[in-house]
Amino acid sequence: MSKQAPNIVIFACNWDGLSCVEAASQAGYCYPASVKVVRVSCLSRIHQGLILKAFELGADGVILLGCEPGNCHFDIDAGLVTHEYENTRSILNLLGLGEERLVIAHLAHGDGYGFMKQVTGFITEVEQMQPAIPVKA
Amino acid sequence: MFDTEREIKDTKIHLCLDCGKCTVVCPVAQYEPEFTPRLIAQRRLRRDSSRPHDDTIWSCLNCYMCVERCNYHVKFPEFIQILRAEAFSEGVQPQCSHGGALQSLMHLMSLEELKQDRMGWLPQDIELSEPCDTIFFIGCAPYFDIIFGDLGVNTLAGIKGALRLLNRAQIPFTVLDNERCCGRDLLLQGDREGFLALARANMEEFARHGIKKIITNCPEGHYTLKVEYPAILGNAGIEVMHLTEVIAPLLQSGEMSLGRIEKTATYHDPCTLGRCSRIFDQPRQILGGLTGLEFVEMEESREKSLCCGASPWVNCGAVNREIQKQRLAQAEATGAEILVTTCPKCQIHLKCAQKRSDGKAPQIEIQDLAELAARALD
Ligand code: SF4
Ligand code: SF4
Repeated sequence: MSKQAPNIVIFACNWDGLSCVEAASQAGYCYPASVKVVRVSCLSRIHQGLILKAFELGADGVILLGCEPGNCHFDIDAGLVTHEYENTRSILNLLGLGEERLVIAHLAHGDGYGFMKQVTGFITEVEQMQPAIPVKA
Repeated sequence: MFDTEREIKDTKIHLCLDCGKCTVVCPVAQYEPEFTPRLIAQRRLRRDSSRPHDDTIWSCLNCYMCVERCNYHVKFPEFIQILRAEAFSEGVQPQCSHGGALQSLMHLMSLEELKQDRMGWLPQDIELSEPCDTIFFIGCAPYFDIIFGDLGVNTLAGIKGALRLLNRAQIPFTVLDNERCCGRDLLLQGDREGFLALARANMEEFARHGIKKIITNCPEGHYTLKVEYPAILGNAGIEVMHLTEVIAPLLQSGEMSLGRIEKTATYHDPCTLGRCSRIFDQPRQILGGLTGLEFVEMEESREKSLCCGASPWVNCGAVNREIQKQRLAQAEATGAEILVTTCPKCQIHLKCAQKRSDGKAPQIEIQDLAELAARALD
């Protein structure tokens, strides 16, 4: 039996981020069912608490997927999320889980192929990470 | 392991005379008229069905001011902990501050196979003794400084100071690179399972390393390891001491001395170190050991010290903010340049009020006692 695919949570912004996920589905790309997409109004709504909660619930990796710089629907761009992203990466390092388990991706509107590349590349990276996040008893 | 009715009896809540003295001294009741300890007790003991969940239970700060005042020493904060555990087990959850980051962090820290990488900050000049059956329990300072970095919080400075003081005192110790959060905040918010997971992980780690003595700078960790762990998991025969209990006697006896600091300082008693652990004198003796330091007491100090408005990372709101501002104003009124404390959480909460109150809170400098004392070592 093949190894179980890692649990990936993607926080995708409602605008360019989600458009990439939809474009990928429309183009018929396949990705493992263990990848869960959570729609948020803007990546600026994401904070350490939400990301850590995903890990607490068993995520092996988290992707923050948002608009390219200059394209933010609310003109907030990466300002708010960058702080949360960097803090959470530092916490993941302290926990010994590794900062690489959290990435941020900015894609152009409707870039389904870019999304697929991002997801499959990240799955491969997470699979190679040792040790994997221990499963809760 | 937990017998609710027995626990309720142990709090002596049945002795409550309904006199209301606790409400008079309670810092929360001052700002939140809905919050009345004795009515909370009555509602629970009568099992008032018109109010299935009493949501005022989440406001208590666990500051022990009421216990100090009550003629019968009714342990109301412990009663509140029982009610919170009941509510939690029924699925009621408090509103988590900071988006629940600290709750998730504590749960992640309890994962059995976790191998943390949390010692990167340890200065080269600190001498650790290996092997050693005495450890310094660091607590969550490495995590706090990241989460609350934007408030200008530097709780690791207190830890580094503590380690330098121990080195100077020639007390052998080591540190454990995979210690977990003590879990006190989960216990206080009713998440007993979460607390137990952390407590067990820590106790196993202590046993694996044959630890006989623990010194810590964190009042919360100190009380939890010293009182809660043995009460819940049984006595493992580990002696637990607060840093000030180790250093103050050496200064008193003249075996150790500190240098000069030309400043005026006041001291904020953390509730857990003061009213819970009864450690009032030792921090003041350390301040007294600093030549040139002028020490001034706040209007409310020692047993009557006002809480910093902390919470176990739940339900932090306008009431907490008012209490924090009140405490900062008391510190400012002394004319002191530095507000000294020994608790990382007091530091976080008071600095939060300074940073987030539109400049309306007094901006007195806040420092950890160990950080300040270690500055006078050179
Ligand atoms: S001070 Fe003690 S006796 Fe009086 S109301 Fe409060 S808990 Fe009851
Ligand atoms: S512990 Fe403090 S906040 Fe809680 S009821 Fe007693 S005095 Fe009030």
